[in-house]
Amino acid sequence: MRPALDVSGLTKTYGGGTKALAGVDLQVEEGSIFALLGPNGAGKTTLMRILTTQLRPNAGEARVFGLDTVREGAAIRRLAGYVPQEMSVWTDISGYENLLIYAKIYGVPKPQRDPTIKDALTKMGLDDVRTRLVSTYSGGMIRRLEIACTLLIKPKILFLDEPTIGLDPSARKVVWEELTAFKREHGATVFFNTHYMDEADNYADRIAIIDRGKMVGEGTPEELKRSIGGEVIKLTVVGEAAPQAVVDRLRGMDLVTDLVVAGAELSLVVKDASMALPVVIEAMRERDVAVRRVTMEAPTLDDVFLKYAGTRLEEGGRSVDTRQTRRMIKVG
Amino acid sequence: MTVLESLKNIGVMIELEVRRLRHDRMELWTRAVQPILWIAIYGTIMGNVRGIPTGGLDYKDYITPGVLIQSTTFVSIFYGLTIVWERESGILKRLLVSPVSRSATVIGRSMAAGVRAIFQGLIIIPIALIIGVRFIPNPLYLLGAFVVIFFAAGGFAAISIFIASFFKTRERFMGIGQAITFPLFFTSSALYPLSMMPHVLKEIALVNPVSYVVDAVRGLMISGDLSELPIDILAIAVFLVVMFSVASVSFKRIIE
Repeated sequence: MRPALDVSGLTKTYGGGTKALAGVDLQVEEGSIFALLGPNGAGKTTLMRILTTQLRPNAGEARVFGLDTVREGAAIRRLAGYVPQEMSVWTDISGYENLLIYAKIYGVPKPQRDPTIKDALTKMGLDDVRTRLVSTYSGGMIRRLEIACTLLIKPKILFLDEPTIGLDPSARKVVWEELTAFKREHGATVFFNTHYMDEADNYADRIAIIDRGKMVGEGTPEELKRSIGGEVIKLTVVGEAAPQAVVDRLRGMDLVTDLVVAGAELSLVVKDASMALPVVIEAMRERDVAVRRVTMEAPTLDDVFLKYAGTRLEEGGRSVDTRQTRRMIKVG
Repeated sequence: MTVLESLKNIGVMIELEVRRLRHDRMELWTRAVQPILWIAIYGTIMGNVRGIPTGGLDYKDYITPGVLIQSTTFVSIFYGLTIVWERESGILKRLLVSPVSRSATVIGRSMAAGVRAIFQGLIIIPIALIIGVRFIPNPLYLLGAFVVIFFAAGGFAAISIFIASFFKTRERFMGIGQAITFPLFFTSSALYPLSMMPHVLKEIALVNPVSYVVDAVRGLMISGDLSELPIDILAIAVFLVVMFSVASVSFKRIIE
């Protein structure tokens, strides 16, 4: 099957010398939901902006349904729906009017316009507020309106940059149910950026992990978790951080497949946690390191991320982004 | 992208503006205050001095087109603020990823400012009538004047979009906007005929599009002298083509 996205050797350096993408390769199958996971500043948005023909890469090429993003941008723009990270609807007209303008821009034929708009409003739960000015909407309602604007035009591929920023868990669920249904009904491809593990885990068919402009891992959520091999022991030591000697000692053990340090927290990947734990604790006690807390679990995407990118995704990111979205609305 | 599609998209951009205006009419009224004061107070007092050769026109009547154009130009030049805001939010990114061509976006958004200018005129002219300004009582002439105002406002809005693609923040844009609006006004024939100007200023006035717009509108609305109209229209047409092209080319850099 022809891939919906085919990216090879993509490099982008900004004017200031910031290297946003350092040779990215990526393939996305048509009709799948694909998540690009990474911390802020990893290059997710840059990649999406190249794919949506907004930016030109410095090297390499990106193809959307075989169309080159640099030379065949106009053709791509007819197939793609796009929701940028920032707010992208007009706040001084109503929700209905926003949809109407987009329907006209994308040439939805007149007889279909009203039913399509009504359908999009109902699906996104905005029917009651359709005549209200968007400036009176909450952040979550605005996000749903933006997604409605995109579903309205029945794109073959959807590019969503952090699609559920500013949404509460129930609204996130509604949005993803609709996106999944849309994908099923129309065979559309969904490509989204996120730094929420659970979102990628629950809704994506495949996930690619990007860090500092490079792809560091790719696969289905299960494959990625399995690639860690075994179970994860998380230890929090007393004090600021574990002494280097202990870390080296643990790393040298046959039982420990992998070890990542994040301040006072150590994550150890082991084959069998219940066998390994006593040995690990004993080794720490020998070096007079006290353990405050221990948990054992099956690997999560967070551990996957930790393994491939060497850091954790920031948990505080969400509230900052919400604030930014809100600021945009206020400015309007 | 066919020509027909582009025209349709320009129409959509204009529709968007009309819809925005419908939700917020206040701005139109507040923007009309200043030009009314120019005509009623400045026009009346300076008219009493009788020091300005207006070719036999009452001074108040003479400056009405100039003040009207100044007011609509001001609105157009600051239309770029809307674009700056749309850049800060994600609206422009989204528009640039839509099938609408860059030039249709630029021309459409520019002509949207033309719509604002027309509404501005529709408010100012009746009030000017009440103040005692005498217009040529021919609806065709008035219609002609509105066509000129509409397109001219589009051209100035294109300048504004061009500026917005270089000065991407509100504050910087405000500064530049202020810095060009008044010189455009004072180096034109809005308040006094070119013959009164010092030589250097006259040269500037000759390349100032405001002069041609004011001249055309004055001929159509007040004096009835259309002898210069073809030249004015030609000048405005050239101005539009140049500004639309320049703004379309610079537009892509706005989101980079």
